[in-house]
Amino acid sequence: MEGVVAGLIVITIKILVILAIALGVGAFLTWVERKVAAHIQRRPGPMVVGWHGLLQPIADGLKLITKEDLFPGRGNRFLYNLAIVLALVPATLVFALIPFGPEFEVLGITVKPILTDVNVAILLVFGLGSLAVYAIALAGWASNSKYPLIGSMRKAGIIISYEVAITFAVMGPLILGGTLSTYQLVQNQIEQNLWYVWVQPIAFVVYMFSLLAETGRVPFDIQEAEAELVTGFTVEYGGMKFGIFPLVEWYIEVLTLSAIAVVLFFGGWSPINIPFVGFVDPLFFLGPLSPYVWFLLKVTFLFLFILWLHWTLPRYRIDQITEIAWKVMLPLALINIVLTAIIAPLIWR
Amino acid sequence: MVKRMFTKPLSWIERALFIDFIKGLSVTIRHAFSKTITTHYPYEKLTPPKRFRGFFGHKVVDGNEPQPAYDEWVERFKIEVIPGRSRCVVCMLCKRACPVPQLFEIEGEKLENGNRVVKVFNMNLMLCTFCGFCVDACPVDCLFQSDIHETASYTRRDSILDLELLERIGKDWQMRRENEPDRIWIDDSQRDRLWKENDLNLPEPATKGRHEW
Repeated sequence: MEGVVAGLIVITIKILVILAIALGVGAFLTWVERKVAAHIQRRPGPMVVGWHGLLQPIADGLKLITKEDLFPGRGNRFLYNLAIVLALVPATLVFALIPFGPEFEVLGITVKPILTDVNVAILLVFGLGSLAVYAIALAGWASNSKYPLIGSMRKAGIIISYEVAITFAVMGPLILGGTLSTYQLVQNQIEQNLWYVWVQPIAFVVYMFSLLAETGRVPFDIQEAEAELVTGFTVEYGGMKFGIFPLVEWYIEVLTLSAIAVVLFFGGWSPINIPFVGFVDPLFFLGPLSPYVWFLLKVTFLFLFILWLHWTLPRYRIDQITEIAWKVMLPLALINIVLTAIIAPLIWR
Repeated sequence: MVKRMFTKPLSWIERALFIDFIKGLSVTIRHAFSKTITTHYPYEKLTPPKRFRGFFGHKVVDGNEPQPAYDEWVERFKIEVIPGRSRCVVCMLCKRACPVPQLFEIEGEKLENGNRVVKVFNMNLMLCTFCGFCVDACPVDCLFQSDIHETASYTRRDSILDLELLERIGKDWQMRRENEPDRIWIDDSQRDRLWKENDLNLPEPATKGRHEW
């Protein structure tokens, strides 16, 4: 009985922490993105609200919440509101499967810093990732307007193409790790003394392309191409309902997929890995905190890299995007699986 | 001399290694860590050039009038010259030159001594395109465009410039910028310095051998 109560308390605390991270950091990342974009264009970005515009997300949120709630004339109100929920929930749920660090003991209870260590975590991640397309398709359909519909159809095309590529791409690390659990994948990388990115560069490239495509980042932001479709499927949304979509697509999904990339390719919370040498930890002085800092650092670097790409590259056309997916990325991923199957026994030893 | 038409397309190995991506990313990262060039507008403001086409104004009589044009026009229209007031001679040439003439509302007044003076001079800037034809048309260098560019107002009434306001803008501008050198000529040393500051290498004007052509 006591074990059940303790478990419930631990799980509640975990949920609260993860929700705070997902929504708080997600909102704060709008500021990070605006700053990075501004400096790439040699502007200072938001500077007025707070120190260097640090309170800008709060000001934006207040503005969005107090705005009028508009609804298109012949839209479907139920689906219109359902789309927002469908966008937010699956994207946030993925955080439940991300291991933030190794397990530790508090007051005699062993705690794993992961909400649910399911043994099919990776499958669940991509299942939830595919659910995002329903939100966008419903948003486009329920708005009863041309631009949203075109935008959501484009997004559906992209997701169908890249879901296939990304699933085959992660097969490589899964073969090497021999498990689907995110926690166990990191443990295996530490035991094998190897980040999988060193033996899976092709898979990593395919994964990055698919990440950009699934989160609607440049060069694959065709579903909201400002110059052609205004803002795509969010045209008919106003106020905070509009704010949720970019928040989910651009920040929460990028964060979760970056975290999964770190788990699959960069050894989760492990320090820097040099092939044939092992792990080198320049942050050893942090003691037991060092794994968490390493995990955060890796995710931050990956996120900043994606921002950097976003504000550098131009946009592909829809046919070019699907062409890359089916003609380049999918064959590459398949070749990678064959190669991995050949080298896997060497890694296992 | 070989003229470069366009760059060679990348080979497949360059494309596979994302050379084009890397080139673009290196450009943006260099810009990201260089100094920003923004003027923080409400806190800092740039000074526009002297010939900026901003709000209109009336230069006032202060002894710098273009001669002999000013005396001729004063004589022709029997204008009462009051120092410190508008140079306007009510010739209506600005209204004639204007593409939207109804934005001007000009009236003169006959004084007791038989001379005339401008009484009403309203410009409705809601209709104005700031083309400057009226400034070109003014024969006595009275109407001009100042460097005031913050033209927004809270009411429609505020977008109408009347004689008093025009004179005030004119006086203010004459005090601040009348004596500043114009930077319109290419051989102006001031202008030359401005080009140099922006790292522009303009060719020297080909004045030397012109008579030999």
